[in-house]
Amino acid sequence: MKMIDDNKFSLMSVLNKFGPFLGLLLIYGLLVAFGPDNFGSAANLETIARQTSIVGIAALGMTLVIILGGIDLSVGSIVALGTVIAASVLQYLVSKTEASSMFDMLSLRADAWMAIVAVVAVLVASAICGVINGLIITKLKVVPFIVTLGTLLLIRGTAKGLANQQKVDAPFSWLNQLLAPPSYEQRWILFAPGVWIMIILALLVICILKYTRFGRHIYAIGSNEQAARLCGIAVEKVKLMVYITAAWLAGIAGILQFSRLSVGDPTVASGMELDVIAAVVIGGGSLSGGEGSVTGTIVGALIMTVIRSGCSQIGLPNWIQEIVTGIIIVMAVTIDRMRHSNTK
Amino acid sequence: MKSKLLFLSIVICLLICIQSCAKKNGTAEKKRLTIAVIPKGTIHEFWKSVNAGAAKAASELDVDIIWKGPLKEDDRESQITVVENLVNRGVSGIVLAPLDDTALRIPVANARWAGIPVVIFDSGLKGEDFISYVATDNFEGGRIAGKYMADILGGKGKVIVLRYTEGSDSTTQRENGFLATIADFNGIEVVSSNQYAGVTTESAITAAENLLSRFRTAEGDIKVDGIFCATEPTTLGIIKAMEGLDMLGKVKLVGFDSSNKMVDALQKGNLSGFVVQNPMEIGYLGVKTMVSHLRGQKVEHRIDTGATLITTANINEEKIQQLLKPDLEKWLK
Repeated sequence: MKMIDDNKFSLMSVLNKFGPFLGLLLIYGLLVAFGPDNFGSAANLETIARQTSIVGIAALGMTLVIILGGIDLSVGSIVALGTVIAASVLQYLVSKTEASSMFDMLSLRADAWMAIVAVVAVLVASAICGVINGLIITKLKVVPFIVTLGTLLLIRGTAKGLANQQKVDAPFSWLNQLLAPPSYEQRWILFAPGVWIMIILALLVICILKYTRFGRHIYAIGSNEQAARLCGIAVEKVKLMVYITAAWLAGIAGILQFSRLSVGDPTVASGMELDVIAAVVIGGGSLSGGEGSVTGTIVGALIMTVIRSGCSQIGLPNWIQEIVTGIIIVMAVTIDRMRHSNTK
Repeated sequence: MKSKLLFLSIVICLLICIQSCAKKNGTAEKKRLTIAVIPKGTIHEFWKSVNAGAAKAASELDVDIIWKGPLKEDDRESQITVVENLVNRGVSGIVLAPLDDTALRIPVANARWAGIPVVIFDSGLKGEDFISYVATDNFEGGRIAGKYMADILGGKGKVIVLRYTEGSDSTTQRENGFLATIADFNGIEVVSSNQYAGVTTESAITAAENLLSRFRTAEGDIKVDGIFCATEPTTLGIIKAMEGLDMLGKVKLVGFDSSNKMVDALQKGNLSGFVVQNPMEIGYLGVKTMVSHLRGQKVEHRIDTGATLITTANINEEKIQQLLKPDLEKWLK
C-alpha cells in the first residue's frame, strides 16, 4: 500500500512540476512533425523566444501578483505608456541637440546616453503606475480587479494623450537592437538581448521567491491573508511592493515593445493583460492565490507563442487560431484543477 | 511514472521520425510558389475585395496564397509577428500592406535579409527594402477629380477644398493633386483649402457648417461654386451640412471613395461625382507583381492600380457596377 501511495505521490509531483513543460513539448513536437517544413529550424526557435519575451517579462510580475492572490489588469496599458514615453523622450532629446527644426526623425540616431535616459523615464513612470495601483488597493481597500480595471483605462488614456492620439516617431538607438534577430557575426549570443533580459529577470524572480523573506511573505499572504497578518507580516507593505514590481516589469516589457515597434504606439498591447494572465494560469498559477511558478509562467507564455506561430505558418484563419488558443487555456486550467482534487 | 515519461519521449521521437520522412517526400513538389498576402485587417469590406483580387491572381497564375491578417485588427505588433512567422515558414514571397510606414521597416528588412522578397501594397513603407510598391496613385486620383470639377464649372468659379485630417498621407496626396490641377485654370479661384474635417462624419458636419456659412450671405446668396473632399466620411458630412444650409444641388460637390450612401447621393443629385480606388486590382496586381518578380521578370518600382471617376453618366455601365459591387463570392469560396 505504502509503496503505491509513494509512487502516486511522486507521479503527481512530477506532473505538477513538468505538466506545462510536457504540454509545450507535445505541441511543439506536433507542429514540427505535421506543421510547415521550417518549423523546427533554429531560426524559428529564436523567433519564438523573441516573440515570447514581451509577454514573458510582463507575466513574471503577474506571477507575483497572482501568487499574492491579486490581479493586475493594467499591464497592457503600462506597456503602451512605456513605448510612448521612450519614443517621446528620445524625440525630445534629439530635437534639443539638433540645430534645425525640420528634420526626418528616422534618419537620426540617438546617442547611447539618450536611450538610457529614456529607459529611466519609462521605469520611473511605470513605478508610479504601480504605486497608484498598490496604494488604492492597500489604503482604500478596493478589490484589485476593480482598481486595475480602472487604471487600465486611466493609463491607456494617459498614453494616448501624451502621444497626441498618434504614433510617436523616434530616432534609432541601441534600444532597437534589443529585440533584433542576432546578425551572422553575433550568432554566438544565440538569442536577442531582450530574450536574455527575460531569462535573467526570471532567475531573479525565482531567487526572490525562493530565498528572500519578501518571497516567503508573498506565498504566505496568498495562501491565507488572515493567518499571515496574525503572524506579524506587514501585509500592506508586501502588497504595495508586489504591485510596484509588477508595474516595473511591465515597464521593462514596454521598453522591449518599443524596441520591436521602433515607434511609440499608444494603442499597442491592448488586451495583452489577458495573454499575460493566461500565461501564468497555464503555467500552474492559481487565481485564488498561494500558487504559481516562474518557470511555469515562462512555459505558459511559450505555449501561446508556439500556437500563434504554428497557426500563422500553417496559414489558418485568425478565428480558428483564437478558438484553438481558447480551448488550450481552458484545457490547461481544467487539468490543473483535476490535479489538485487528486492530491487532496 | 518513469514508464509514462518514457512513453512520452517515445511519442516525441516517433513524431520527429515521421516528420523527417514527410520532409523527404515533400521536396519533390517544392516548385509551386507560395505567396503570403498580409493585409491590415480582415474584417473590413475593402480588404475582402483585396482578398478576392489576390485569389483571382493566384488562380490565374497557378500559385498558392496564404491570406493572413494581424490577429488583432489594426495592431502593429500583431502584424510584425505575422510577417516574422511567415518569413520563418519560408514562403516564396510576401505581399504586405503595412499598418505603419515606420514600424514595419525592420521586419521587412529582415525578410529581405532572409532572402524573401517583399512587395508593398495599398500603403507606403519608408526605406528601400522592397521590390515594388503597388497602390492607388492618390495624386493622380486628385487630378481626375480636379479636371472633372473644372469641367462641370465650365472653367470658372470659386472652389473649396475641405481637407481630411493632419498627417494622413494618402488623402493629402489627393487634395494636392486636386489643387495642382485646379491651379491650371485661371478662371477658378480656390477660396479655402486650409480647413480640416476630422476623421468622422460628425466632425465633418461641424467643420463643413462652420466653413460653408462663411460663404452664404444673409440674403441667401451662395458665394461658392464647387467643393472637393478626399474621403467618404467627409463627403457625407458635407452633404449633411449643405442640406441644413440649403446648398444641395446649388453647389457642385466632388468626393472620393465609395459607399452605398455615396451612390445614393449621386443618384439624388446631391453629389456631382466621386473618384474610387480599385481594391480588387490592388490585391490582384500585388500578387501578380510578386509572381513576375519570382519568375525572373523585371517589375516597375511603383505600380498604379488606378482611380476611376464615377458620375451619373457612367454609373450604370457594367464596368463601373463591377467596380462598385465586385463579385467577391466567385473568388472567396
